Amino acid sequence: MLIMGEVRTGLLQNSAEVPESDLSSVLGLLAGERVRISRRPILHALSPDLLTGVDCLLPSAAQAKIRGVGTVVSRCSITGGRVVQSSSYVRVTKAETGHRLPWSHYLARPGVIEVLGKAAAADLADGFLAFGLPGEHLDVGSISDRLMDTVQAAESLDRASPFRSTQTRLRWVAASGEPGVRFVLGEGVERRVRITYEGEFSTAVLDLCEDLALHDWLLTTLLVIVERARIGAAPRAEVSARLAPAVDALLHLWMPGARIHPSLAPLWESLELAPGFTRQWQSLVERVRDQFAVNTLALLLRETNPV
Amino acid sequence: MTTFSEVTAERQIKSAPLSHVSVEVGHLYLEDYQLGADRLREQFALVTPWLETVRRDWRARVPGGRARVSTCFLIDDCFGRFSTPAEVVPMIRKAADDNGLTIDYLARESACVSADGVPLAKLVADRLVPDPPPDTRGWRRSTSETGWLANGVRSPMPRSGQAMRGPLRWEPPSQNAKRGHSIFVDVELWKDGPDGRVWSCPFLASVWQLLRLGLLRNEGELPVQPVSAGDAFPADWDELPPVVRLNPAATPFSAYTTMSVLSTRFLQVELAVRTILSQVSVDPEVLGQVQERSADERLRLAEQLVDRVSYVFL
Amino acid sequence: MLVFAISDKGGTGRSVTSSNIVYRRALQGQDVCYLDFDFGSPTVGAIFRVSGAARGTLKGGLHRYLEGEIAEPTRIDVWVESDRDALRSKPPGAGQMVLFPGDEGGAEFPTFEGEMVERCVRLFAKLQEQFDLVMVDLSAGRSHAALLALAATARLPKIPCRWLVFHRWTRQHILAADGLVTGTHGLLDAGEAHGHHRALLADRIRFVRTAVLDPGAAELDGLRDTQKTWLSEFDRELRELASRHGVGRTSMLGKVPLDPVLQWREQLITDEDVQGTMIANVETVVAFDELAKKIVDDAAWEGL
Repeated sequence: MLIMGEVRTGLLQNSAEVPESDLSSVLGLLAGERVRISRRPILHALSPDLLTGVDCLLPSAAQAKIRGVGTVVSRCSITGGRVVQSSSYVRVTKAETGHRLPWSHYLARPGVIEVLGKAAAADLADGFLAFGLPGEHLDVGSISDRLMDTVQAAESLDRASPFRSTQTRLRWVAASGEPGVRFVLGEGVERRVRITYEGEFSTAVLDLCEDLALHDWLLTTLLVIVERARIGAAPRAEVSARLAPAVDALLHLWMPGARIHPSLAPLWESLELAPGFTRQWQSLVERVRDQFAVNTLALLLRETNPV
Repeated sequence: MTTFSEVTAERQIKSAPLSHVSVEVGHLYLEDYQLGADRLREQFALVTPWLETVRRDWRARVPGGRARVSTCFLIDDCFGRFSTPAEVVPMIRKAADDNGLTIDYLARESACVSADGVPLAKLVADRLVPDPPPDTRGWRRSTSETGWLANGVRSPMPRSGQAMRGPLRWEPPSQNAKRGHSIFVDVELWKDGPDGRVWSCPFLASVWQLLRLGLLRNEGELPVQPVSAGDAFPADWDELPPVVRLNPAATPFSAYTTMSVLSTRFLQVELAVRTILSQVSVDPEVLGQVQERSADERLRLAEQLVDRVSYVFL
Repeated sequence: MLVFAISDKGGTGRSVTSSNIVYRRALQGQDVCYLDFDFGSPTVGAIFRVSGAARGTLKGGLHRYLEGEIAEPTRIDVWVESDRDALRSKPPGAGQMVLFPGDEGGAEFPTFEGEMVERCVRLFAKLQEQFDLVMVDLSAGRSHAALLALAATARLPKIPCRWLVFHRWTRQHILAADGLVTGTHGLLDAGEAHGHHRALLADRIRFVRTAVLDPGAAELDGLRDTQKTWLSEFDRELRELASRHGVGRTSMLGKVPLDPVLQWREQLITDEDVQGTMIANVETVVAFDELAKKIVDDAAWEGL
């Protein structure tokens, strides 16, 4: 069995942090189902699961025609009242028959896509991680995307985010095996993750992927802000003004592994050794803080020694 | 070992008490009411033998013959209101008694829109997962925007095609689960008007079926709890509880299966209901509860929901 | 911010001017994108010198996105994909510059319906999240592209949006520009029909004069005196005409001088074109730079 999914991560389109009291309405995508909110160690809200039916070809690295039928599970989360993530995934299994069954058969197996015919997990995984052209194969990303749009369009959001930012797309595949994780940073907004886990699949794997996507987005976004600030090239006050939104909105959100099941914690830790997400984050944060310190110092000096 | 948990982050699902079968012995519309008590008596006279058959059938299936069969009656108070509960309910009871028929529960159809503050129709609408036609790769425009639900692919319409492109030829619609030929069904679920959303009769009938199957939950709680009634009924329909227990000795309102004894004029509505029910996603945890309970009773339930819903058309 | 570029007539230099504004804004450090809503002739790739999209894209552009065939339209990073060396490396501090081309072989939409508006709304909202300036180049005249834009923006009241009406400095163009805004079925009529507040929408519309010949310019020294006199005289008449038709100075956001480069080849004018090969005039770049700043300068957009 292979599990594959896509997490989209972006900045919530609101000028201020969205308070806990508004999170339930923003993420209340399913009447009669509660938004799950946890406050420790960071405010995190999770929408109910939504289902989307699909019947299409699955991505295949070998260009094989593999038809799958079933439902995709999606959910949306907001971390720290600032970062929104929309995540969709499917478990791919082999169908017992070669033809499509009544729809209720698939509805009874939420999040499962049954392959009609032959398929190799490795071929599917490679095909999926290749980010092929849209419009031919299963497109879990379009479901995440749609969900994200719905959340961003919530009535209580003012659509005036403190800075412009780009959404990232993290595609992941998971299978059981010797525990391990591989993270590949793409050129643009694309990220690829391969996970092997012990025992049965559980949403803990999904939690891990979302946590990776969240921290990769934070790092990506802060890097862009720091690059744009033109430290050393632009006047200090201008640099500080460009860095300020990051300080206000992002710096306190870094908490890798905060909501990860202990059994998967070693996978995060292995990514901390190489490439070392936190190491890079720390060095960026120090750079940002140094700029503020230097700018403050310059202002103080100007006050004490007016020109 | 240390543990930390937060109540708001957890999910708890109540389970429903269940009969073996819920039999709907009638459905009262304005036009039926206008025909008077005799008409009701005639209807119940037709229903009684079928109810007996159902009882016998379940007694044979259940170990020890302890079949739990509950009966219910639905009053339409959505599409044109008439009279008052104080007048209508005793009339229904009397007509049933005359035929030796006990009505255990009485429900208002408007309860399927919203009951005790729970928007049941919206709850079900949010759980529709449309049957995807072949080549559905991901997101597509959903029922939630159009208010229509089909069992296949509609006939394509030449709409906003770009200029200088020829008009499309007519193409037939197609049923997803067709066997050679299609029987294409397209159901209007609601209409949005100046006074808000008006739910269609088949949609409310689908909610009614799901309620009787005990498969709906609101934030993990059971949404409609039958209220025991005495002999007096209110003068306003709004004051009548959504589901009233008329028989204190009745087995639970919800059941593993449902059986509805209906006039043939409801055939189309029920075809629409089945089209809807086969595209509703029920909480897997709730389905699991029902599955476990039935397994404990050594019953085999049909895997598909629509197969737990049966009818007698008279 | 969403900015819509529109003109009553063709040949106003609308596309080339709005492309240059976008380019200048990117150089000023803002993230910008350009949407080719000139559905009948999706050729803006040529201005940015992206050969893969010179006549629209084959990979799924705005036409197919709006018709619901693809989930997201193709985006082209101009700093990476332009064939022009001067554009192919992002200067330090510059923002993103992304092009959303139409489809090759794409045509005008004869009409549009609710689903298309919905897709357009989603696209605008998503781009607003990522870009400081979203420039939408609309077909000339009263087009479905313009109606679509009006319908979509009416549903996005929280997103700031502005309209630029491009016209040349001639009698016919001045009258036509006024007609496009205030005439029957003009922007204001159509906007109101789609749910905009007429006066608020009017506040968001400004004019841009293109290919303007300045009678006092040094290049005109070679003209005969009679020609010069006629020019100034006629310029004054046009100014009067413009202000009578609400196209005058107060509602003008800027003007772009006549530049041979823009007349003969629609292109982005880089600093190299001005300082290196000197094929373009410095005044042209100054005008683009000014417009790029004024578009987002609230002072230039205070109610009239």
